[in-house]
Amino acid sequence: MIEAKNIYLSYDENKYIIKKGNFSIKEKEFIFIGGTSGSGKSTLLKSFYGEIPLKHGNLSIAGQDVLGINGKSLRRLRKDIGIIFQDYKLIKEWTIEENIMIPLKINGYSHDISKEQAIKLLSHVKLSHRQGYYPNELSGGEQQRVAVARALAHNPKIIIADEPTGNLDDYSADVVWNLLKGANEQLGITVVVVTHRVPKNFGIRFRQLSIEDGIIYEVS
Amino acid sequence: MKFLKNTFAFVIPLTAMLISFIIYIFATNILDNYKVTIASDYSIVIITNTPLIKEDLTSLADIRVEKIITLEKDNIITNIKSNLSKSSIDLLKRKLPHFYKIKLEVFPTTSELDTIKNTLYLNKNIKKVEIFSKNHNSVYLLLLLLSQISFILFTIITIFAIIIISKQIRIWFYEHHEKITILKLHGASILYSSSTILKYAIFSSLISFLIVSGLFVYLVDNINVLLPDDLEDIVKISLTLENSLIKVFLLSFGISILTILGVLLKYKMKYD
Repeated sequence: MIEAKNIYLSYDENKYIIKKGNFSIKEKEFIFIGGTSGSGKSTLLKSFYGEIPLKHGNLSIAGQDVLGINGKSLRRLRKDIGIIFQDYKLIKEWTIEENIMIPLKINGYSHDISKEQAIKLLSHVKLSHRQGYYPNELSGGEQQRVAVARALAHNPKIIIADEPTGNLDDYSADVVWNLLKGANEQLGITVVVVTHRVPKNFGIRFRQLSIEDGIIYEVS
Repeated sequence: MKFLKNTFAFVIPLTAMLISFIIYIFATNILDNYKVTIASDYSIVIITNTPLIKEDLTSLADIRVEKIITLEKDNIITNIKSNLSKSSIDLLKRKLPHFYKIKLEVFPTTSELDTIKNTLYLNKNIKKVEIFSKNHNSVYLLLLLLSQISFILFTIITIFAIIIISKQIRIWFYEHHEKITILKLHGASILYSSSTILKYAIFSSLISFLIVSGLFVYLVDNINVLLPDDLEDIVKISLTLENSLIKVFLLSFGISILTILGVLLKYKMKYD
């Protein structure tokens, strides 16, 4: 599903954040990417959806080559991915179901079908009672559940999550982990999560990568 | 409230530009009608030794020649042929020079008529140039001045309007930057991501068009608001409402869409 061969990532030519990165992620795997703050975890994740351009090497996401990707190819790649951010990135002036409808509408679904699917997902993340609310009216944990629902909406091949529980209390974090486990186990979606704190007793098979001094290691 | 405030910042310059455009339409129409009224009040007749090659004479004093009419010699001969034999008439037909009447696309001023006369005399083939005209110079030149000033005014206001509109669009892009970024991260195109801004621009253009159309229809129906009664005898306004409104509509939406595309392109180059 994700193949990286000798990848180099940097914000400027002088200092590489990721050096000679090699790893492979198979379909339906659950992957944690760990490392200290500033080690390049988020940078690596951003390269998966073309936010940070690849400097050298080969990176293939869901069969699409990321090196030099732009325009239509980049949009096609992003349509295959569901993204969850630490700061949720919900559109404040839209209701939560409108936020969930975003990937569906971008993928060409009609308004009615998108709305129907959004309401189903709200129920899936246990937020039916919040229908019609705006993101600012929800707690952080609830907002992140909306973000998970949005990431699942268009049935993506991969979900990538950047510190999805970083701003959440333990209860909300558990809810988010359970939703991600469900997406992986029940829907067969490949899940890649960047976190500096892998949850204990996770309950499903996962693999862990770590980044140190720009080098990517296989932990377990 | 914020939406209205944002829209007004777009509507006001666009409306000012459209109003300057309808002033230009009125001025041009008055001038065109006046030209039609005085069009038959001049005549340029030339006499040549040999037939004139009409294609060689395309413009005079920078005015395009609309047509050159050949004046038939038969009319001249008819008036005198009663006293002449057939052979004399044939000889006369051969010996008579060629007569032409020149029609110009635009009514010439007195100084232009002088230039035309001098230009025509430079052609060795032309024996004689006769110009007959009434003097409409002062009114015509005033209307011409009015038309040109209104065009210059329209051009200047358009430039300023585009600057203000593009600044407003940039503000909209700044306000919606986060939303655009989120939509793009989910695979949306820049055009889809900025659809809210496009809606603002279309809504603002529609408001401007409606305001100016209302004003335009009112002025066409109540022309005395624009022209004093005495002036109405000299100049006329005859506008096709539909055509003029189509022009206002195209200008309103054309300027908005072109400006938004320009800002969009700049935004895309910066953030894509």
